[in-house]
Amino acid sequence: MFEKLEIFRMAHGLATHAGTRQAVVARNVANADTPGYRAQDIAAFADTYRKSGDEMHLRKTREGHLPACDPLPFRTDLQAVDGPGEPNGNSVSLEEEMLKAADTKSKHDLALAVYRSSLGIIRTSLGRS
Amino acid sequence: MTDLSDSRGLSASGLRAQAERLRHLAENIANVDTPGYRRKLTSFEAELSSRGPEGAVRTGPVRLDRTELPKIYDPSHPMADATGYHDGSNVNLIIEIADAREAQRSYEANLKLFDQARQMSRGLLDLLRR
Repeated sequence: MFEKLEIFRMAHGLATHAGTRQAVVARNVANADTPGYRAQDIAAFADTYRKSGDEMHLRKTREGHLPACDPLPFRTDLQAVDGPGEPNGNSVSLEEEMLKAADTKSKHDLALAVYRSSLGIIRTSLGRS
Repeated sequence: MTDLSDSRGLSASGLRAQAERLRHLAENIANVDTPGYRRKLTSFEAELSSRGPEGAVRTGPVRLDRTELPKIYDPSHPMADATGYHDGSNVNLIIEIADAREAQRSYEANLKLFDQARQMSRGLLDLLRR
């Protein structure tokens, strides 16, 4: 039920996006000294977010049809970041990655705070506190 | 959640690799005056294994620096040849210290990301609490 509400869906999407981006940043930092490694990133959440109902779903025309699985509300395709590289072909900049990590952490905290406060609103409307 | 545990695995692989690099650097520095010692070089490569997250890093096989060993003139040294020279080590302290600094910086970055992934998953689990 909860993921059908737009705010929960958005908070869930933002938290998932932050988790994926954290893994990408961790991979970049782990490979900060690997020769020939190219830094990667995924597109920002705000740029790729789709509201529910915006995307094209497979329509069920008969009871026996299996529903199409609910896709994530954003894209997570990896893209290489081109920057000034080291002589060994590595393009990871630790400072850049630390900035991205801080950004990811704050987005994740934001998503969790929104989720929690919306949960509180629902609880209140149910008459519990 | 799998992304966060992947993230912790990746950071842990980075920590292991940097720690091994630091260990070889310490060996090099300790042997700066050992006659005939060649400095060890640590290289990083992608870990190809079915276990663990994709894109983890590990250290490759240790190679020895092939540069010429310096000749040191010391006729009283037990390893000196007839002309009074013996081989020194090709460890350059400045290079080793600079390399150690870089390894330390990368280690701290990995540690920070490990800690951050841990905080993020703890935040998720805290949602279950009232």
